[in-house]
Amino acid sequence: MATPAARLPGRAALDRREATVGLRLVLGPDYRLGFLFVAPIVLLVLALVAYPFGYAMYLSLTRKYVGVPPVWVGFDNYVKLTWDGFFQRAVANSFIFTFGSVSVKLLLGVAMALVLTSRIRFRSFFTGVLLIPWVAPTVVSALNFLWIYDYSLGVLNYLLVRVFRVLPQGVGWLSEANTAMASVIAVNIWRGFPFFGISFLAGMKAIPAELYEAAAVDGAGPLQRFWRVTLPGIKNIVIIVVLLSTIWTFNDFQIVYILTKGGPGGATQVIPVLTYEIAFGAQRLGEAIAVALYLLPALAVVIIVLARYMRRGQAR
Amino acid sequence: MKRRALVEPAVSYAFLGVLLVVVVFPFYWMTITAFKSETQMRSLVSMFWPDPVVLDNFRHLLGDTDFLAWFKNSVFVAVSSTLVATAIGTLGAYSLARLSFLGRAFMSSAVLITYLVPPSILFIPLYAQIRNLGLADSLAGLIAAYPSFTVPFVTWLLMGYFESIPIELEEAAMIDGATRFGAFRRVILPLAAPGVLAAGLYAFTQAWNEFLYALVFITDVKLRTLPVGLSSFITGDVYGWGYLMAGAVLTTLPVIAAYTYLQKYMVEGLTAGSVKG
Repeated sequence: MATPAARLPGRAALDRREATVGLRLVLGPDYRLGFLFVAPIVLLVLALVAYPFGYAMYLSLTRKYVGVPPVWVGFDNYVKLTWDGFFQRAVANSFIFTFGSVSVKLLLGVAMALVLTSRIRFRSFFTGVLLIPWVAPTVVSALNFLWIYDYSLGVLNYLLVRVFRVLPQGVGWLSEANTAMASVIAVNIWRGFPFFGISFLAGMKAIPAELYEAAAVDGAGPLQRFWRVTLPGIKNIVIIVVLLSTIWTFNDFQIVYILTKGGPGGATQVIPVLTYEIAFGAQRLGEAIAVALYLLPALAVVIIVLARYMRRGQAR
Repeated sequence: MKRRALVEPAVSYAFLGVLLVVVVFPFYWMTITAFKSETQMRSLVSMFWPDPVVLDNFRHLLGDTDFLAWFKNSVFVAVSSTLVATAIGTLGAYSLARLSFLGRAFMSSAVLITYLVPPSILFIPLYAQIRNLGLADSLAGLIAAYPSFTVPFVTWLLMGYFESIPIELEEAAMIDGATRFGAFRRVILPLAAPGVLAAGLYAFTQAWNEFLYALVFITDVKLRTLPVGLSSFITGDVYGWGYLMAGAVLTTLPVIAAYTYLQKYMVEGLTAGSVKG
């Protein structure tokens, strides 16, 4: 990765200060400025991420209540969780929430990118407006939908019952067990699909037009050009965006917390909200962290795979 | 010529029309609700236009609630943590993208992995950390904590940006006698200014929208930030939709303003900078 130019100052300084030759060989030609510039990040990552993370791992192996010193219990918290019905349900719900959201976001994102690369006018206007849900504060969007879903005064029931007359009476979208999960998933999709669309759009624009020309000359129709040119061309971006969104969606706290707080009766309880409730409702910190960290091995695999793809993209 | 286009324009317009309604409607609904009277809202008349248009909701929001204090808190926290994150991130990104020193590759990975670690697994120990520092229940605690997600993001974004600036420019400056730092300050930084500004605005919107840390770290009602403050209207008063939506409108405006500037960068895929593959 070291470019020849990165060694330039090293070479100039070698003549000036013979004594630092050894240091430079070991620490690299630009170690002074490099260390100076990167030091704040190192401190920050250590203090705000690495240390708390290590401390969290430790706490998850203890019985810890707020304001009381932790007591070492080994893997007790994890073992108990494994057989805990609430936790099992939250894990299942988290997977349903994540896969339900991500799969629809993927489809909508591809569709959005495809229509935005077609021969339409006002392209940048459409692109700009479609991005708004992604930019607007999540809390605002969640509160908007809370209001839209409202049983008696909400506009969704008004539209379905009074305007389109497809339902005889309103639905308690967030208060009925069989509609609550779909309703929170819909909000996550609404907020997240523009990110898929805009990323795929950037990827599609980067595909050389000649590839499409060549495919067309060879007699490929639109569908074949999509399968043979577009999809392979955006494959890496698709992988990155799907993995990134999987992490974000799995850990989405706000939408579920504001819309249902995990209810009704645990129907939408997901891991981040359960973590919060055990930590700050029940004040059992050790157990709460064990909830958050239980699936860490899976998260770590996703992060490592994703980081490899992202670094490859950046080093391009 | 445009073989790139795979979808017929008519199909595109139809799909975009539907998508546009779905995307815009919640914001439209939020805005008209903010201007409706309590009576109108309860009687389900003239659902899609305020009749009469009233400012009562805004008056109540600004006069009788802590909204203004929350707004100030949010501005203070978001601006401070953005400045810190942009300064640290810019220097770090430059050194990770361009300088050659021991541990560079490791730190690049560390930054990326930090960016990917979700707040939902960090918030409890981070809260303990902030409390140990004596910063619990203070805006300073949030300003200290927010760089944990804004700095990795800004750094990652700008690493890609610095790499896209031709290295020859720096070489030329150094051949003319500039030091490495001089070349960075006089040549590279001005060229990177649009990217730095964009990254800063992203950091600002992230800090502005942050919810979980603000919910956990702050207990004093007056010290809440907007997202937590707004959502607290829900538990307090079930029928406060009018002023809740007025607050939602005012919370969205700064982000939309930042975004209007950012749009061209987003469309060019800088956001995705992180995700260009």
